[in-house]
Amino acid sequence: MTAIIALSLFGISNLFLGFWFPRKTIQLVTLLFLVVSMALTVSDWNHELLWFGNMFRTTNTSINFSLIIQLAAFFVVAFSKAFGQDDEHTHPAEYYAIMLFSVVGAILMVSFDHMIVLFVGLEILSVAMYVLTGSDKRNLRSNEAAIKYFLMGSFTTGFLLFGITLVYGATRSFYISNIGTILTTTAPESMPSFLFIGVLLIIVGLLFKVSAAPFHFWTPDVYEGAPTIFTMFMSTIVKTASFAALFQLVSGIFGSLYTVWVLPVYFISMLTLVVGNISAVYQQSVKRMLAFSSISHAGYLILTVSSKQISTTSSILYYSLSYTLATVVAFAVLILVSEYQSARVEKPENFSSFEGLAKNNPGLALCFSISMLSLAGIPLTAGFWGKFFIFSDTFSRNIIYPVILAILMSAVGIYYYFKGIIAVYLKAGEIEKIEVPTLFKMALWACTLGTIILGIYPSLVKSVF
Amino acid sequence: MNYQPQDFLPIFVQLAAALAFIVLVMVLTHALGPKRHSAKKDDSFECGIESIGDARTPISVKYFLVAILFVLFDLEIVFMYPWAVNFKQLAWNGFYEMIVFMGLLLAGFIYVIKKGILTWEK
Amino acid sequence: MSLLLLIPLLPLIGFAINGLAYPKLSKSIAGIVGTIPPLVAFVISLQLFLNFDGQTQIIQLADWIKVADLSIPFAFQIDALSIMMLLVITGVGTLIHLYSMGYMAHDAGFGKFFSFLNLFIFFMLILVLGANFTVLFIGWEGVGLCSYLLIGFWNQKNSYGDAARKAFIMNRIGDLGFLVGIFLLIQEFGTTDYQTIFSTIKDGTEVGNIGLIAFCLFIGAMGKSAQIPLFTWLPDAMAGPTPVSALIHAATMVTAGIYMVIRANALFELSPEVLHFVGWIGLATALLGAAIGLFQNDIKKVLAYSTVSQLGYMFMGLGASAYTASFFHVMTHAFFKALLFLGAGSVIHAMSDEQDIRKMGGLKSKMPITYLTFLLGTIAISGIPPFAGFFSKDEILAALYHHDFAMWCLAILGSALTSFYMFRVFILTFWGDFRGTEKQAHHLHESPWSMTIPLIILAVFSVGGGLINLPHFAGGNEFLAHWLAPILPEPHEVGEVSFFSLEMGAPLVAAFLPAIFAIYYFGIQKAVPGNDESVQGIQKVIYRKFYIDEIYDFVFVRPIQVLSTFFAQVIDFLVIDLIVEGVGKTVKTASDEIRKAQTGNVGYYIFMMVLSIALILVLTLRSRIL
Repeated sequence: MTAIIALSLFGISNLFLGFWFPRKTIQLVTLLFLVVSMALTVSDWNHELLWFGNMFRTTNTSINFSLIIQLAAFFVVAFSKAFGQDDEHTHPAEYYAIMLFSVVGAILMVSFDHMIVLFVGLEILSVAMYVLTGSDKRNLRSNEAAIKYFLMGSFTTGFLLFGITLVYGATRSFYISNIGTILTTTAPESMPSFLFIGVLLIIVGLLFKVSAAPFHFWTPDVYEGAPTIFTMFMSTIVKTASFAALFQLVSGIFGSLYTVWVLPVYFISMLTLVVGNISAVYQQSVKRMLAFSSISHAGYLILTVSSKQISTTSSILYYSLSYTLATVVAFAVLILVSEYQSARVEKPENFSSFEGLAKNNPGLALCFSISMLSLAGIPLTAGFWGKFFIFSDTFSRNIIYPVILAILMSAVGIYYYFKGIIAVYLKAGEIEKIEVPTLFKMALWACTLGTIILGIYPSLVKSVF
Repeated sequence: MNYQPQDFLPIFVQLAAALAFIVLVMVLTHALGPKRHSAKKDDSFECGIESIGDARTPISVKYFLVAILFVLFDLEIVFMYPWAVNFKQLAWNGFYEMIVFMGLLLAGFIYVIKKGILTWEK
Repeated sequence: MSLLLLIPLLPLIGFAINGLAYPKLSKSIAGIVGTIPPLVAFVISLQLFLNFDGQTQIIQLADWIKVADLSIPFAFQIDALSIMMLLVITGVGTLIHLYSMGYMAHDAGFGKFFSFLNLFIFFMLILVLGANFTVLFIGWEGVGLCSYLLIGFWNQKNSYGDAARKAFIMNRIGDLGFLVGIFLLIQEFGTTDYQTIFSTIKDGTEVGNIGLIAFCLFIGAMGKSAQIPLFTWLPDAMAGPTPVSALIHAATMVTAGIYMVIRANALFELSPEVLHFVGWIGLATALLGAAIGLFQNDIKKVLAYSTVSQLGYMFMGLGASAYTASFFHVMTHAFFKALLFLGAGSVIHAMSDEQDIRKMGGLKSKMPITYLTFLLGTIAISGIPPFAGFFSKDEILAALYHHDFAMWCLAILGSALTSFYMFRVFILTFWGDFRGTEKQAHHLHESPWSMTIPLIILAVFSVGGGLINLPHFAGGNEFLAHWLAPILPEPHEVGEVSFFSLEMGAPLVAAFLPAIFAIYYFGIQKAVPGNDESVQGIQKVIYRKFYIDEIYDFVFVRPIQVLSTFFAQVIDFLVIDLIVEGVGKTVKTASDEIRKAQTGNVGYYIFMMVLSIALILVLTLRSRIL
């Protein structure tokens, strides 16, 4: 918990470090900060405590989620090669600071015990993301993405807030535990109907953040427009945090209202799977494909929301971790390749830019392929077990048809993920050896190795979660 | 739990009334006002002076920065009013918390100055 | 315990070093890196052997698979059987590595060869160390892979690659049976753990399908240990370098099937009809192998069929529940067959890769060490006392005598054939006059020390290997039988054997007479088999290996090819492609349509969002509000 305070202070000090130190130092210092905050997070392990006027609860689950978030942030920082080249217009210190702040928001979202904390956390995260999305100031696409994200994000925040007030109106409490008690002790017939509207609106507000269809429209545009490094950030951290919040609400206090939300949630999950996977098939741009892939992964995750198995929490954690590791690598390689190709081809983020990568950059090609395999859910990678756990949890809850659809859709997924592998290995193309900074390379291999290790030996972390 | 949907009726009535008023006024003005158009009349300033350039003149971004900073600090200072009113009840604890708050605010202020945002000419 | 882990780990490290550093490593370093791991593993195994207290030890390394109620740990089991196997594998393995340093010295793929050999040793150790059938299966598949890699080691030649593929496919057929057996085990016992399964059986718990399980496991053994009908890959496997034939296709891998049956003896004991089947399959293989061996002219082919035949003997022993005898034969066979193969390798090396015995002869004087050791190996395999082969084979025959008299008679016949063809090969190779080309004659030389030392060591074991299970009538104390007793069922009581009974006499006659005949015919008469065209009649049928390959080709391969052509050209084209490509096209079209929903217009996005929210609210709450 002290991690939040520490991260906020680190963020502020990052701002000042920017006056005196070069980009490289700030990057290393930020990595150090994240390591410290992870250590602080771990120190709360097995202490279930309430903080800040009982508004904030640390449990082992919330700690696991926070750790995944911070790990993702760690890798994003490690992969942040450059935000453009000139220091004057790119403000590295500020970006690192904003990232730290948004991590604070994400942690709030996974450990809230009070609706307002959820809202504040979401806003801290979202506002930071609006800024980061638009950080490539001279790029029109980036500006467009930022304004789109901002417009739609603030719009749905309104829904979330409205939902919270309706729930407050019905229960007269913001405290999660109080709301939970009231919801379980009251008969559904005597509950006011606007309570149900509130519940649905809260769910919708969070579903927007995880980019579930039909609230996904922003995702491809924003992912494509934002600088790749922040797309990486968005697709891992924002997604994990929002999903954790959604999961805690839906499987926790809204669990007794199962009949209210279960059909919409399943409908949304199936729609998300179809839209995400099917749309990805046609994409020419790797970045846009990854955007749709992140939509489809949201679909898989939403499936589990109501499977109240004991193992579900750990399955979701496992899935988030495996997804994070694979996505981070995919984006990292994309950063390198598109940077290399930007001077050479018109659309450096297309699949065609990856052609012939394996010839002179076997390491990059291997990392990219493994991450694609993991995203597609091929055995011996973490992604396979992630999907396996999720499907088996959902299946054991007797939810059959959505699972069948999900399996079919993951077969579709293989098509577009393998497009990347094919481009890398089988297509001819001229890509010279790409220089990769040491830190970048280390992070890349760490993630790839993590994917493999988790794929071979899933109980390594599954038993911790 | 004690509220029933009908208890919120006044709010909806008020919402409806507000909406209805706006719509009514807009419809009324358009319907009732006389409409006689001419090039001169549709000009921004129809008092005889030819308009020059665009009304949307670019304004230095520094202006916005200063304005937004003003709003920011202003709002944060506003926080001190309720604090001051409850100063006695909050006692020393409240005092320390305000010190922390002011410390953070000060850090932000120093950052803003060091960043050179308040210097107009550079 | 930590030392124990080193046993499989060292070869793996050797594999990694040689595999990764090849071809940068120089040959001498690669050879040393390859040879040290099995040597150290042998020393550790020896120490394990000496300190063994008779207690079965299970070493849990990790939870490997945990699905619902099924838990398969990655665990090793150390007991009398696995220690014996460890000694054979690492011991013979070390010698063959040493030998390979000389034999492969001129080969470009030297480092690759050693890395494969080390990988093989690793998997073989996993196979015998595993504490459950699943870990055994890893090793089982791993050695299959290595066998494939090494048979096709000289893959420049197409036929060698074909031989490798043949071995792999035949093994796959057996492995499928084995896998089904493991699945059945999981179904019936809920585990693949040796101890749990065997103790369940020992407790007398009623478990179904035991016969089927044993049968499926035996199918696996048939593939790996080259029994009828899955034996034809083994002779073809001689395409690999000779050390490989010695290590994998004579001494270790092919005996994995016997090891597995001994390991699962409790299962087999409960299904006498399967044991009976095992025995007859073994007998048929032994006779067939020996018969084909009679007229082969390729020195390695003869040895290969002899291996098939000897493996048949081992299975015969298993069929008669003589587990100790079979295992004893596994060990002695490892010594003398490795010796014979290495000797053959030494000859081939000297003859510049000539393998036809018709073109050899008179090598006695040129290669004295090879000559002498090969002679000892020949005597050992022929079952002439007091060499190792005599004791082990005799023990199997003794068990058969009490088990089934008809089987015993046929086994004696097989033994006579063995003695004949081994002496035939030996005499044609080493006695008489040289029949090769001038160039070969000029090149003839004794092999370097790295090749002769393994020969000498193996020869010593081939001579004295019988000591480890010397029977009572010869003044021994049956060490191996006592050693293995804890994991085997109670042996059938066999009466005291007299040296002059039929039971003892017949094998001796079967060993000596054909040998003497062979010496007379090939040694004194100096008969040399004619060229391929001159063979006629039944001899031709045998020389052509009873046309078994051709029969397989006609019965299995052709129909499958026809069927596969039909599927490829008709079903695939008309049905599969239509469906698959249809699905693909549908998805693509759908993708093209759905992607148009992404207009880029924020107003439209928000409109869609609000519309769907309204829809959700209305659909969910219609019953509550209205």
